[in-house]
Amino acid sequence: MASITLRDLTKRFESLVAVDRLNLEIQEGELITLLGPSGCGKTTTLRMIGGFETPNEGDIYFGERPVTWLQPELRNIGIVFQNYALFPHMTVWENIAFGLEMRREAPAKLRQRVAAILAKVQLTGMERRYSHQLSGGQQQRVALARALVVNPAVLLLDEPLANLDAKLREEMRFYIRHLQREFGITTIYVTHDQAEAMVLADRIALMKDGRLQQLGSAEDIYRRPSNAWVAEFIGLSNLIRGTVAGRSDGQLSVRTTAGVFACAGEGATGDVVICVRPESLHFGQQHPNRIHGIVHERVFLGNLLDYQIDGPDGLRLRVQADPSRVFAPGTPVDVSFSSADAWVMRASGS
Amino acid sequence: MAGLDATVAVPTPPARGPRFAWVVFLIVPIIVFLAVFFLIPYANMVYMSFLVKPAEGAYLKQFTLENYGRTLGDPFYWRILRNTFWYSLLTTAITLVLGYPLAYHIARAPKRWRGWLLVLLISPLLVSVIVRSFGWMILLGRVGLINQLVKSYGGPELHLMYNAFGIIVGLVHVYLPFMALSIAGALQTISPDIERAARSLGASPWRAFWRVTWRLSLPGVFAGTLLVFVLAVSSYVIPILLGANNVLVMPMVIVQMLLDAFNWPLGSALAMVLFGFTVLLLWLYVKIMNRAMRWTAR
Amino acid sequence: MTRRRDRGWVLGVTVTILYLFLLAPIVIVILSAFNAGEYLRFPPQGFSLRWFVRFTESPSFVRAFEFSLRLAVYVTLASTVLGTMGALFIVRHARRVRDALRLLLLAPLQFPAILTGIALLIFFYATGIGTRGMRPLFIGHTLVTIPYVFLTVSTVLVGFDRSLEEAARSLGAGPFRTFWRVTLPIIKGGIISGALFAFITSFDQFPISLLLISVGNTTLPIALFDYLRFSFEPTAAAVSTLSVLLSVGIVLLIQRLVGLESIYWGGPR
Repeated sequence: MASITLRDLTKRFESLVAVDRLNLEIQEGELITLLGPSGCGKTTTLRMIGGFETPNEGDIYFGERPVTWLQPELRNIGIVFQNYALFPHMTVWENIAFGLEMRREAPAKLRQRVAAILAKVQLTGMERRYSHQLSGGQQQRVALARALVVNPAVLLLDEPLANLDAKLREEMRFYIRHLQREFGITTIYVTHDQAEAMVLADRIALMKDGRLQQLGSAEDIYRRPSNAWVAEFIGLSNLIRGTVAGRSDGQLSVRTTAGVFACAGEGATGDVVICVRPESLHFGQQHPNRIHGIVHERVFLGNLLDYQIDGPDGLRLRVQADPSRVFAPGTPVDVSFSSADAWVMRASGS
Repeated sequence: MAGLDATVAVPTPPARGPRFAWVVFLIVPIIVFLAVFFLIPYANMVYMSFLVKPAEGAYLKQFTLENYGRTLGDPFYWRILRNTFWYSLLTTAITLVLGYPLAYHIARAPKRWRGWLLVLLISPLLVSVIVRSFGWMILLGRVGLINQLVKSYGGPELHLMYNAFGIIVGLVHVYLPFMALSIAGALQTISPDIERAARSLGASPWRAFWRVTWRLSLPGVFAGTLLVFVLAVSSYVIPILLGANNVLVMPMVIVQMLLDAFNWPLGSALAMVLFGFTVLLLWLYVKIMNRAMRWTAR
Repeated sequence: MTRRRDRGWVLGVTVTILYLFLLAPIVIVILSAFNAGEYLRFPPQGFSLRWFVRFTESPSFVRAFEFSLRLAVYVTLASTVLGTMGALFIVRHARRVRDALRLLLLAPLQFPAILTGIALLIFFYATGIGTRGMRPLFIGHTLVTIPYVFLTVSTVLVGFDRSLEEAARSLGAGPFRTFWRVTLPIIKGGIISGALFAFITSFDQFPISLLLISVGNTTLPIALFDYLRFSFEPTAAAVSTLSVLLSVGIVLLIQRLVGLESIYWGGPR
């Protein structure tokens, strides 16, 4: 098992900078997700860690060992691709045994290890099948088994669940998490699905345009987004622009066109953006920060009601509330939120 | 945001950069082979066309324009050139008319059948042109099968071979699959829904075809006509077997000049003239077709 | 609705006639080979294998057949290796020069074979290689068969899933092991069909052979050609039939191979 360090990692394709001076340190045994929209550089980063792309600048270390220019076959990695990349001309057994063959494992030991991993992924009995004879979920598990059986120092997963249907995806998420914890392998998981990232990761590395936007646990990123883009990418958010008017006992006073609000936040000054999550906006006047508006639209989501409220100065608020009280469109309402739920971020871009 | 722990002493990475691409050696043998045995001989042939033909031997290393003078100045060669292009044009037109239905049928055939239809279409290509010409000789000759049939019903003897007719039949037969494959390729990219859309808007099947499908298939028609024309112009076996010496086309004359008369400079010049005029005609054709296909993203 | 059905019927009939037109001469030749009579008459005068026997008794035909076969084998080996190497490079590594290289590799197909033959003849004499023996024919045939191998292997390579190779590399296989254990088994369909195309093209090749053969050596198509110019015996039909059987056999092989390959990879070995 090894920790992974990325230092000033940069990759350019013609005029496009895919990865821009990325600095990241991943702890041993940790599962970190690279999360972001398509084109953010997460897959390129993964491929550089695997050795399938060479960086233009920067370095990669596995523990203390520099691997920036090392060929993939010498890095001792395991990789699971989105399309599984199972060798179509080999049986399940041969696929899984391949890595051990390359390492010249003794035949008896090899048989033992392959059988053991097959049992672990619950595919005993499928040894002689070919990949086209397996279901998507089964192929997925063979791909995992193949990558894990060689005891890699690092496990790389490139959107492995993207081709599965929703229900299977959910099951497999927990399954992968469970396997990873059991084996304790340092793992990098690339995805564009935030729910997936939040379920799986010890920490999430959120990327955009080749740069790291925020690194932290799911809760960190959700409750304390570092900028407006992060706030909008993760979950739903209400963003209100304003200026810092003052500070008193640990709270910031922010003046906006919808009113002056007491917010929590670090030492920010000048132009800021307040982020309030839809579930933190409550109907009524219990909390100090209040906004008055008219219900524009209401959608029934089963366990929640999703409202769009027109506030002052063109402000459109998104509110999610339990279905115990229902407001029809056109009804004037008051919504309020506490200062703890009002997170302040600097107004400039990234 | 996590940063680097400055107290961890990381060893300096070895100064190894991108490795040499040994893969270049995959392409080197083939490039050398083609350069030596393809590019140079063709260049040499151009060179040869400017040399002098001596009384003894094939050529002398002296520069002259006489070969081109003889080719371009002699009405005999002009007539042969004209005939060659005319037969090729006829062949191209006929293969277009016959090839389009074939292509349409294959492109619209259900998937199971398509493979086998392709086998049917391609297999004549894999039979030697000699064998195919031989078959036509049996069919078209004076005592051939067709004449036997006709005469047994009291008809006159038909002259189907050793003339232009025989050659055209042979050429069409050999190049029909090429035309059909070209057009089929283009037709396959046209979704049948497009025709259905035209029909839903009120067009009769014929108009839907002409205004929509035909126009959309023009790239395939273009490629096919180009291909067949070039192939027909340079055809040697069929004119010689099915036309004998009653009909002369350029390739026959060129081969005669080289192998029988042993006049390499003149033969090369004739080949260059044929090639040159072919390119000229093709260039004109491309210009016209590009105007007709203005809508394609080229 | 009747109108659409009418149109379908017309197309079907037209196409059937056209396929008959395409196959007729070949079928006629085969039938004539088995004809018992001296001349190629219809209706056939009985079934006989005498023309095949005549073929085996004709030393010139047999020698030509064997010569063409040997030549085709050598040519196939050379063009398969060269064409596959070229395809591997151009599909995967070229990038900037890709179009130019493709043009170069396909050029022998674009230029009329007769012109290529002429150019080679002149070149071989000028450089002293001459036209003796199999060597000039070998070079000429390889030249015009490489494009076929290149085309079929390129097609397979373009659709090839690179992540398979990356998976192999991640598991510890170096570039050569990866090629041998993963890439090659999967693209072998393309390589084999290219090789078969090359074989049949060389075996049936005419214009280049015409110009490059020397005294004492002849290929089967040339022998047939000479024969047909001056006589009209069904022996030629027998020879042709053997040639056709070879071609048809190869077409079916290709269909089976590529067909099987594309349905499922590998299968029980």
